[in-house]
Amino acid sequence: MTNRSTSRTTAIVGIGSTPYGQMYRAAGGDGTALESALSATAAAIEDAGLRKADIDGVIVGGLPRYEPFMLRAGLTDVRFVAHYPWAGRLCPLALAQAAAAVQSEMADYVVLFNAVEFRSANKRFGESEDVVRSGRRPAAPMETSYGLAYGMSTPGANYALAYSRYQSSHGLADGALGAVAVSSGQWASMNPDAILRDKVTMADYQSSPYVAEPLRRLDYCLVNDGCAAYVVTTAERARDLPHRPVLVASLAGRATIREYYAAEDFWGQACQSLKHDLLDRIGLSLGDVDAVSVYDNFSTSIVWMLEGFGFAAPGEALGRIAEGWIAPGGELPVNTSGGMLSEAYLMGWNNHVENVRQLRGDAGERQVPGCRTILYAGLSAVPAGDVLVRGD
Amino acid sequence: MINDEVRPLPVPNDEDREFWEAARGHRFVLPRCESCGHVWFPPYAACPRCLSRERTWVAASGRGTIAGVARFHRQYLPSFPPVHTVILVQLSEGPYVYANIVDSDPAEAAVGLAVSVVFEDVTPEISLPQFRLAQPS
Repeated sequence: MTNRSTSRTTAIVGIGSTPYGQMYRAAGGDGTALESALSATAAAIEDAGLRKADIDGVIVGGLPRYEPFMLRAGLTDVRFVAHYPWAGRLCPLALAQAAAAVQSEMADYVVLFNAVEFRSANKRFGESEDVVRSGRRPAAPMETSYGLAYGMSTPGANYALAYSRYQSSHGLADGALGAVAVSSGQWASMNPDAILRDKVTMADYQSSPYVAEPLRRLDYCLVNDGCAAYVVTTAERARDLPHRPVLVASLAGRATIREYYAAEDFWGQACQSLKHDLLDRIGLSLGDVDAVSVYDNFSTSIVWMLEGFGFAAPGEALGRIAEGWIAPGGELPVNTSGGMLSEAYLMGWNNHVENVRQLRGDAGERQVPGCRTILYAGLSAVPAGDVLVRGD
Repeated sequence: MINDEVRPLPVPNDEDREFWEAARGHRFVLPRCESCGHVWFPPYAACPRCLSRERTWVAASGRGTIAGVARFHRQYLPSFPPVHTVILVQLSEGPYVYANIVDSDPAEAAVGLAVSVVFEDVTPEISLPQFRLAQPS
């Protein structure tokens, strides 16, 4: 049993990110992941009030190799290095590793980031390049090749299969899911760095083309370049740094690995497990959560996270979202930067940067009043989450 | 229409060769654990429940229920021009399989409908289990 007072010993003390919207709109201006990583980590270290020489731990996310970054960043003689080539869904676990590094004194100040170049590299998820290249002999594991033979590819189509079942079991009208994109757009309209800053109406949603029906393009997260970074240290060291520290109150994971990706129960059991480990175990309840942050790879993830944790009864989240429940001014602010649907797809890392801004009270126009506790969770093959709280 | 010339097909290996040999004879079989009785799919070599490697092949009922319908409006794989429908079927034995609707109108596929297995002969080696909407009884 984690003691509430001892669980808040790790702090996020610096944040940095690339200007997502500006990069996206600049013709040919998208940068390589390596360039993005260099600028965002430098910004995070400066934001923490530290010098590069203070950094003695690095967790590299997103880049295929870590040495090119370490050499260019001049972080060649640090004490702790870890690497997540596919850092997205694992971002709370990378944070857990950073916390373990500073608590075990393997490092004093860890910079961690996720950097991607999906847009400039023309990355298309699920195109299965191996298959296209190799004709009919897919260099894919058996379980994947079974789906490909039927034309099944892309994470989005797996979420579409699951949402079709959810929609059917709750008798939801076509278009009901659009309420999530509308809310996300409202938050993003207040975020100067967001890629999609135009408010979305239900009519916009209905005219958004299907990708994998029943999901429409506005149900999918963005495809972009960029980097989100933060600096982690102990709560004790954080006291000497310029910003109000943001403390890690709890961390948890709960793998739910399926051939068909989307858990049969829309991740209900996984969410209950995360709720226990993230909230119950440290004496918090849903009512203590001031804002929620979700790995919104697809709009459905927000619906299933809110229902899985018990913020809404099964089948009822979309009705409440349509009434403004999670939008600016609503009872339960969710993904206040616009998240991955509207701000940028940094795979949960941009969501964490936003959570730090909110807990510092630095979120400007979109600041959640009195924000002290934010719950983050992602639903994927490896659901994971964390609770961040405002330090004193 | 599906273009079989560039369609990615399973390459039978030690894990699933017997499955595809049965499919070639239009028999839908599933691995069952000799030790604990678990039935699973895809046919991994060992029982995912108890890790026993003693498995036998049992004839599946070939019946299932549609657990999801996705219609691709965008082309990802060269062999499947849009609109292309994929269904997720929960077999009456429990496991889930991807498939297409054949011998029925894919537009009629809907969650909760009963389906039954048919085989699509794609190459001399590979016959794919597919599903059609079950006749109302």
